[in-house]
Amino acid sequence: MKKAFIAALALGLGASVAAHADQVIVLNSEEASYSVLSRGLRMETQRLPLGREPHHLIQTPDGKEVLVASTVTNELVVLDAKTGERKRVVRDIIDPYQLGFSPDGKWFVTAAYRLDHVDIYRYDGSFKLAGRVFIDGMPSHLAFDSESSTVFVSLQQSARVVAFDLKTQLIKWNVEVGKAPAGVAMLPDDKRLMVALTGEDAIVTLDPKTGTTTGRLQTGRGAHNFWPKGDGRHWFLSNRIEGTVSLIDTQEMKVVASLRIPGGPDCMDITPDGKELWVTQRFLRRIAIVDLATMKVTGSIAVGKSPHGVFILKAPAVMPPPVRAAATD
Amino acid sequence: MRPFIDLWVGVQTWLFETIVGPVLFALNLMEWFEPAFNAVEFVMLGAVQIAVIGLVMRPIERRFAGEEGEDGLVGVDRIYTMLSKLGIVPLLVFVVAYPITNELEHLVRLLGFAPPRLERLIPGLHDNALASFLVYFALYDLAAYWVHRAQHRFGWWWALHSLHHSQRRVTVWTDDRNHILDDLLVNLVLAVFAQFVGVQPDDFVLILLLGRLTESFSHASLDLGLGPLGWLIVAPRFHRLHHARGDAREPHIHDHNFAPVFPVWDVLFGTARFDAGPRPTGVDDREIDADNGRGWLGQQVRVSRRFVAALKPLRPQTRP
Repeated sequence: MKKAFIAALALGLGASVAAHADQVIVLNSEEASYSVLSRGLRMETQRLPLGREPHHLIQTPDGKEVLVASTVTNELVVLDAKTGERKRVVRDIIDPYQLGFSPDGKWFVTAAYRLDHVDIYRYDGSFKLAGRVFIDGMPSHLAFDSESSTVFVSLQQSARVVAFDLKTQLIKWNVEVGKAPAGVAMLPDDKRLMVALTGEDAIVTLDPKTGTTTGRLQTGRGAHNFWPKGDGRHWFLSNRIEGTVSLIDTQEMKVVASLRIPGGPDCMDITPDGKELWVTQRFLRRIAIVDLATMKVTGSIAVGKSPHGVFILKAPAVMPPPVRAAATD
Repeated sequence: MRPFIDLWVGVQTWLFETIVGPVLFALNLMEWFEPAFNAVEFVMLGAVQIAVIGLVMRPIERRFAGEEGEDGLVGVDRIYTMLSKLGIVPLLVFVVAYPITNELEHLVRLLGFAPPRLERLIPGLHDNALASFLVYFALYDLAAYWVHRAQHRFGWWWALHSLHHSQRRVTVWTDDRNHILDDLLVNLVLAVFAQFVGVQPDDFVLILLLGRLTESFSHASLDLGLGPLGWLIVAPRFHRLHHARGDAREPHIHDHNFAPVFPVWDVLFGTARFDAGPRPTGVDDREIDADNGRGWLGQQVRVSRRFVAALKPLRPQTRP
């Protein structure tokens, strides 16, 4: 009864709740909507419409806005990063399945998963297409080097990772890495690029200069997506088929913890206080909350169909550069 | 509602994580694991439909049957239903149709065309999920109506579709009695339409479930008009006239009542007939009528030959 009252209150005060800073945004990729969740109430307070098939979202370099990409309707919906309020729509961004900003904030890159191309934009608050590179097949995830000179893109169907020079949009290297590569993440030393192999149960590390494979670590079946813990050393990895999240120590290059999160765990985000990890459970239409002190699932919130990208609203000041750079994963 | 969703996706997830996912993983097909997860739901919906047909509709049909006899002809339709609703035929159709629809999608979207969303065109639809669903359902049904008319209009397509009409013992199991090529063509057209109009995946699941159940029931051997409701939803009496066997007086009686779910399309386009009374079903053509008594494979082979013959321009069309 008490919960119902709180829910009614929250829904009744939807507008004011939206202005609170404890909001979490989850993209319901198969029902053209996004859920607004309250971290405090641990419940969905609003479900708002979006363009078709929204998959990923990212904070702008100034930290003030969040771009939500709707792949089928070729658009970015711009939300206020503090309040979640919808501000405007940027149209004609073609098939923006995955998206990311270079660390210097001057380049914006999208991976067109269905249409097989990578678009590189110059960014100064507006988007100017510098180059479109068609490449087989299924470009899915991307990451940048810290110098903002290179973007690395996984090609899920081709079993390859490709590196593009941002200024020239030319391919630096294109190498085979393993079955169905998905998440890519550059480690802070800029010397190792991690690639998750969804068609296997492992990740590999590549030399970002040459694409040479330098290491391999067994994780879990369907290794898919990375998210930094924020200490520069540990990274989370979702294993979609196994239904687990691994915690990887990138210095020792070993799995130091593994957590059962069923239902195709995918995208992740960490609360600004660093205490909780939120993980979308694509198949179960839920988002799991993990207490990082105990490494236990402490909650699960029902959302819409096939929840994919997740973003915890935060003030620009709490968005450190390493996390921003990694947000493209 | 949420407990039901949790139960449903819980079963779907269990089936996927226990059976389908590991198989895809072993076969190195992991780039398809998102569509495969949705395919599990399709099969689950098919199982629900088979249960409703077998445990609810069929007993009603037997109790109030409008026609009797020749029950031996029904068995093959059950096989069609199983193959279709449990995903065997749809999987074959997907394998062939996907590259075609995918290329079309590439072409259309590279030309810069984004399918418009009706919610942007019709004020008020945006915040009303039920109204939005009904509009998409109606549009999808309208497309299916015109596809059905094309099946009867073109001789080569009728050669395939006549298999569906050849059944002399039309029952709740008859809806899926189709040639594989016919299924492929219909699904291709409707998939392209769904892409252009923008039917949402979650709406599509419900449209599929409600639409196919309505169509199964409309094939029931019942002289049931549903009263005023029969103007809104296709009733068995309405659809069985579409399956009525032509005779010298009305050779084209089956060129009426094409609508799959909403009879309004037949009313609007002048093809509706609300006549009462049971009629014999089937096709007044010895070649087509010979489908009866054959098994699934025999029918597929025979109709394939009919289709090839219909493609020859100088040969008389098989359409009656």
